[in-house]
Amino acid sequence: MKSIIKSILVSSVLLLSSCATIISGSRQSTEITSEPSSAKVYINEVEVGKTPIQKNLKRNQEYSIILELDGYETYKTKLEKKFNAWFIGNIALGGLIGIIIDPITGAMHKLKPEDIDGSPKRGTTYDTENGKLFIKVSMDIDPISEKIGQLKKLK
Amino acid sequence: MKQLTKILFLVTVVGLTSCSPKITSNFTNPQPKLSIDEKVALLDIEHKLPENITKVGDLRFQDSGFSTDCSFNSLMNKARMEARKNGANIVKVVNKKKPNLWSSCYRLKIELYKYDEDVSSIPQYELKLD
Repeated sequence: MKSIIKSILVSSVLLLSSCATIISGSRQSTEITSEPSSAKVYINEVEVGKTPIQKNLKRNQEYSIILELDGYETYKTKLEKKFNAWFIGNIALGGLIGIIIDPITGAMHKLKPEDIDGSPKRGTTYDTENGKLFIKVSMDIDPISEKIGQLKKLK
Repeated sequence: MKQLTKILFLVTVVGLTSCSPKITSNFTNPQPKLSIDEKVALLDIEHKLPENITKVGDLRFQDSGFSTDCSFNSLMNKARMEARKNGANIVKVVNKKKPNLWSSCYRLKIELYKYDEDVSSIPQYELKLD
């Protein structure tokens, strides 16, 4: 009986210790908002919609992000893959399987907007909450465009 | 115990460094770098090359054995970045092996070309987000 319990315990530790995959998953929810909103969003040059937008992106890839809005400068940034600390859980628990599975699923990474000299690109703020990535972009007015009017909301 | 630590360390290093596909490149006629605003046409096997093009080089994507980021769309996106770096605006797939029992990766042979006309008018593959 004791050996069965031992076997179950050992199997559980080995099988259930793909820490990052279990905790984070192979995709990361990424929400992009902009000020002003309704900017066209291109991920890897594929048009995916307008801000605010939410996408589940694979953790094992890097992405280029472009936001376009009439009258504003085109905003470009990259989402880079960084080390996901949950991967250390495999080493802490001795989970050999997790060390193999987490890189395969991509869960050993987390996505983060590119840094320039250690800070996010100008106009970018981001936050991670429960593994979800929230990116807010303040778009700069295009200096060569000229405002010719303003639409008013009808009551 | 020491041996186990060594194995864990080795697997971690392999896991951290080997998830990208192996890329072999040969640029015979590199051109001035293109900006991200300049379009690059992605041509699959069935798409025909236009006339009057200049060959810039070749790319080959292989499975490194630990590759995970190797879907068709991901490889085509990588090929497009390599093309821009070397001044090519056409990425043409000349050989395509789909994932099978031996490899979970797409394996591609690609030729890169420079075309002086607008590439948007060429029938091409539309990249999708995985």
